[in-house]
Amino acid sequence: MNRIRLLFFATIRDRAGTKSLEMEIPADMTILQLKEKLGTDYPNLKESMKSVLVTINREYAFDEAVVPPNAEIALFPPVSGG
Amino acid sequence: MTQFPTIYSITESEIDLNDLLAKITLTSTGAAAIFTGMVRGVTSRGDAHETEYLEYESYVPMAEEKMKQVADEIRERWSVVEGIAIVQRIGKLYPKTPTVLIACTAAHRDTGVFEAARYGIDRLKEIVPVWKKEIGPDGQEWVEGDYIPKPGE
Repeated sequence: MNRIRLLFFATIRDRAGTKSLEMEIPADMTILQLKEKLGTDYPNLKESMKSVLVTINREYAFDEAVVPPNAEIALFPPVSGG
Repeated sequence: MTQFPTIYSITESEIDLNDLLAKITLTSTGAAAIFTGMVRGVTSRGDAHETEYLEYESYVPMAEEKMKQVADEIRERWSVVEGIAIVQRIGKLYPKTPTVLIACTAAHRDTGVFEAARYGIDRLKEIVPVWKKEIGPDGQEWVEGDYIPKPGE
């Protein structure tokens, strides 16, 4: 199992009801599998997981990427700065 | 290339144009293209509405890394650019308040420096993790962008 840290921003944080979580996940878990797990564990997030952006250690990451040990994973909607 | 000043930051403080401009002006600089965006209190284009204030938040360490990446991309495309400043203010910001500033300097104005600054603000709005919640007379709503970053961005 790998320990990871999850960060939520904007709409995702509101729906999760928290800014961050620590979680144990299987060593070969992909981003897609992580999103599925979050949608199951936190039903409020299920709908958001379809369009959420995900980063691994501050770089954009995609469904097939495997989550490395001690990763900092962030989930957020498309950005709206400026 | 590395001797040219590059400033990038997320800040909760007022954006100080004169200070930033001084930092990206070299003895060889003769032109600066500056874009700044501010909170619009009254929107008439599209969905007409009024805004009381915007509340900005950021994933700060990643945002600053991505601002650095935007600056690097500008330098790859416009090697004439001398200094670059990219600053995003966050927190609760009221109409007329500047929220973001992109400035690029160069020796002359006809070098692509306008396009470089334009590219900077467009890229910031695509890949830098900052979000704003709009608070108006009818309630509050997160503003969501529509850009999906590609691998390597």
